[in-house]
Amino acid sequence: MEFKDYYKTLDVTRAASSEDIKKAYRKGARKYHPDVSKAADAHARMAELNEANEVLSDPEKRAAYDTLSEQPHARDGQDFRPPPHWDAGFEFSDAGGASGEYSDFFEELFGRAARAQRAPGPGRPFDDLGEGPDVARPGSDHHARIELDILDAYTGAERLIAVRSARIDEQGHVVNQERNLQVRIPSGVFEGQHIRLAGRGSPGYGGAPDGDLLLEVLFKPDPRWRAEGRDVIQRVPLSPWEAMLGAAVTVETPGGRAEVSVPPGWKAGRKLRLKGRGIPGSGRSAAGDLYIELELTLPPADSNEGRAAYEALGAAFPAFQPRPSLGT
Amino acid sequence: MNMPIAPSTSSTPATPATDAPAEVVESQAFTVDALARACGVAPEWVRTRVEAGVFFGHGDAGSWHFDSVTLVRARRILHLETVFESDPQLAALTTDLIEEVARLKRQLRAFGVTVP
Repeated sequence: MEFKDYYKTLDVTRAASSEDIKKAYRKGARKYHPDVSKAADAHARMAELNEANEVLSDPEKRAAYDTLSEQPHARDGQDFRPPPHWDAGFEFSDAGGASGEYSDFFEELFGRAARAQRAPGPGRPFDDLGEGPDVARPGSDHHARIELDILDAYTGAERLIAVRSARIDEQGHVVNQERNLQVRIPSGVFEGQHIRLAGRGSPGYGGAPDGDLLLEVLFKPDPRWRAEGRDVIQRVPLSPWEAMLGAAVTVETPGGRAEVSVPPGWKAGRKLRLKGRGIPGSGRSAAGDLYIELELTLPPADSNEGRAAYEALGAAFPAFQPRPSLGT
Repeated sequence: MNMPIAPSTSSTPATPATDAPAEVVESQAFTVDALARACGVAPEWVRTRVEAGVFFGHGDAGSWHFDSVTLVRARRILHLETVFESDPQLAALTTDLIEEVARLKRQLRAFGVTVP
């Protein structure tokens, strides 16, 4: 496994006080907060900060880590094996584990798995170690996001997702394992909703159930339409004559082709509702509606005929005031 | 924190895909206990936040139910409270602003503006 220089991660010196570490962690957490940061690796950097803070903000873990750092090859990124009984004389409770959020280095040294390694018998689940064999505790839930197209919400979809988890192998070593899950997403999901994959979170202990994996649904931005709950909004451009005289317009909606009857008389901001043509319902929830937002689009005056047509239009409406509120 | 769903480095090769039955969480499906479990906190943490108006539950006091949007909000507030040791109301205010920015970005996208 690779050695982790937690001081470097938090950008503090080895002489940093606990207050310095707290400040550095918060500074980094603000920079890489998932709701704020635009960095592509913000999630990973936040996980690194959490891990470094978890060790350096705990006096016992920090002392053990400092002792370990004096070993040869204890350099950031270098292959590293801790000596036997490296943590003798230190007392710290287990942390993290099983979420896939921690590095192998952390899991091996400070994670729940670390204590499982020292306990007799590999293969023991490490979500609840330290509470005694008779304590039953359900596994914790895991969270992730899944990005879908709005069309997926109409038809249902299948996605292959990769989740990471830590376990102990037959030799008693901590292994971060990646699992691929084939997830069938039913139709009718909408943004902000969660999909539960039962039993795909942390393992339970003592006969208690495993945790769940909760996937938060996000929709990819699409220039054609957007969703608000189960309602879908689609912009449809109209020519001036369609807008003023009315027309039957064929529209490709997420649910298929639809004939839309546009009433005569243009009004800015007008929406037409196609009831039940939004995202399909599921369970006891009804389907959403599809709202057509009408837009005016003008043909270019880039030919003699085009310019003549606009001149004729102007001549036909000599009293027309396009800017009555401005008085010009 | 969310787990990454994109493939990431691992110590062992990825296992073949296994089918994972998916269940859509319907509206107001989370009880106090279920929301607490999903956030990894004690139910008391949920109760005190609802009573303080940090987030809202449907139904009668004490037997509230929560929807998916509240789960996202609760986890955001918990993250801010934990990382910055912030007062719950300050975490809620920050979350209000995060949600408002997200709403405005959605509106901009609806007008065809490219938003980072």
